[in-house]
Amino acid sequence: MTDQIRVVIVDDHPMVAEGIQSILESYDDIHVIGTLSNGRDAIDKLEAMDPDVVLMDLNMPQMGGLTATEIMLERRPGTRILILSMHDNPEYISSALSHGAMGYLLKDVPTDEIKNAIDAVMRAERYLCTGAQGSIAPKDQGDREALTEREQTILLQLASGRSNKEVANVLDISVRTVETHRKNIKRKLGIANTAGLTRYALEHGVLQGTGVRL
Amino acid sequence: MRRWFALLIPSYAQKLTLLAAVPLILAVAAIALLVALQARALAEREISTLETQLIEAKKAELRNYVTQARNGFYFIYGNAAPDDETAKQQVAQILSAMIYGDEGQFFVYDYDGTQLVSPRQTERINQDWSGQTDSEGTPVVDELIRTARDGAGYHSYLWPKPSTGQEARMITYVTSFPSWRWAVGTGVFIDDVLASVATARADVEARVQSTFVYIGAITLVALLVVFTTGMLINLRERRLADAKLKRLTQRVFDAQEEERGRVARELHDGISQILVGVRYALDNTRRRLERGDTRAAEPLNKGIDSLAQAIIEVRRISRDLRPGVLDDLGLGPAIKTLTEEFETSTGIACAFQTVVFRNRLDDEAKIALYRIAQEALTNIEKHAAATHVQISLRGHRHGGTLSIADNGRGVRSTQTAGSPGLGLRNMQERMDQLGGTLTISQGKSGGTTIEATVPLSHMLPPEDSEHSKVAAE
Repeated sequence: MTDQIRVVIVDDHPMVAEGIQSILESYDDIHVIGTLSNGRDAIDKLEAMDPDVVLMDLNMPQMGGLTATEIMLERRPGTRILILSMHDNPEYISSALSHGAMGYLLKDVPTDEIKNAIDAVMRAERYLCTGAQGSIAPKDQGDREALTEREQTILLQLASGRSNKEVANVLDISVRTVETHRKNIKRKLGIANTAGLTRYALEHGVLQGTGVRL
Repeated sequence: MRRWFALLIPSYAQKLTLLAAVPLILAVAAIALLVALQARALAEREISTLETQLIEAKKAELRNYVTQARNGFYFIYGNAAPDDETAKQQVAQILSAMIYGDEGQFFVYDYDGTQLVSPRQTERINQDWSGQTDSEGTPVVDELIRTARDGAGYHSYLWPKPSTGQEARMITYVTSFPSWRWAVGTGVFIDDVLASVATARADVEARVQSTFVYIGAITLVALLVVFTTGMLINLRERRLADAKLKRLTQRVFDAQEEERGRVARELHDGISQILVGVRYALDNTRRRLERGDTRAAEPLNKGIDSLAQAIIEVRRISRDLRPGVLDDLGLGPAIKTLTEEFETSTGIACAFQTVVFRNRLDDEAKIALYRIAQEALTNIEKHAAATHVQISLRGHRHGGTLSIADNGRGVRSTQTAGSPGLGLRNMQERMDQLGGTLTISQGKSGGTTIEATVPLSHMLPPEDSEHSKVAAE
């Protein structure tokens, strides 16, 4: 029993969640320890549930799958997250991966592929479902790598003059996590200092939007 | 009642007209006032000159009469002794006879105030008039005697006209026969001069007033013209706007109907048919299971396959209606998808550049820019004969700009002159709606560039990102 894979399903459609649960429970080595209906719940219960794999839907009320994925990984970096979605658009897949998901599955794949995906991420391999694999070829060498949602939030916070510590407080994460994000942001933008970040945000109009206090 | 009040509240056009009318009225009033002041001052100068000239002429005339008279009987006076009563009598008689005009006469007072000669008012003769004043209190006889004793001079006072008895202003020239202690003079009424001066003044005043009336009338006409034209233009604009709105509404309805028809057809011809097929397959499976047929899995698998197909179909329809990427991931990924699909389906090379930021535009701006990109790509595919398209999406200090450039034939050659195409008009309207701008330009070497810019007000505030909100709760 101890070598069972502990799986959490996060999906706001009960029919889908139940369907996946009953399919997964037909495998002896998988234990579905819970189904949750949104990203916030998943984050709150993450530590208590201590899952090996999280199957995560993208579109959910309160907090979507991408955001939830990023925050879960900030709190519990080892969590293997598999995105399970209706969207076959390659943009979703690359976004999911850039936000830290280990795999991407379409909900309408044959059900044994879900098991394959779980096995793959348990072996620490990335898993993309058969429909998605072709569409993920990196096309945008010319472009800068897009920021993840978390990185964007932190950039905007830093650019509007907050310190690492203040950002950490506001977002309820550790200062070290902020540091890591900050390093990634600077790498992605090719900018060395905070003044540069502020200028970049200003020049791209993202600091001055409606209601900004400048 | 409400309608009536609404009429009182000026519309924008009315405000504009008012804004034009008020300065006009003020300017005209100022000009009228200035003209009146100038005209009055000028007329006053002329009238007083005339008055002085007329009076001076009368004065000279008087002096001439008196000098003439004095010289006339100097031979009597010069040879007579101071107490020569006969000589005095003789001169008095001559002077009494020297009446002229309607009112003209000579008078003589002795230095004590007794009148000696008064041919037209004989009742005054041999009475002492010293201390007599006119109705305004001006001393008359005393002053005449004083002037005479000093040599000669003028005096002016009110005096009853001998002909009518009515008082009028007169000017008198008086000189003296010193050895006889006589004051001799004659006077002339200047009421005619004063009257003509007053008439002249009244004339000027009347002219000034009529000028006022003319200016007022002209202003009124001008204002009427301004107001009527303003109102006509306003009416016309409103009618045009109404017509435009009607056309627009019709277009929205048409588009909506067309879209509904299409979705209905796709649901009915596509999904429904597939689902019916699935139903048959499941039915079939059940029947085979009931009969204990071992080949029950065969229709079941077929049903599952069909369901997968139905899911794909639903996904396609839903994406065509509104791409989820746009809402979930933002405009950048949505347009990227669009360009990739465009490249695949048309074979026209399509490059896309975007920013590192995601989802910073509000929903209206996102959908508007997305539809503009879609429309532009459709146009390029249909009309431009381009081989390369360059799309970029960037944020800057003034907002966000989507630019779509192709190397095709250019927009002018593909449009019938005059009216812009429906698609371009749609784009323009979408941008107008957002307070943004749309520019369409043509490159030197052909090709078209469409640039749509939304203002900063459509950029989401930094604090509003989903993240910080949730995390700050």
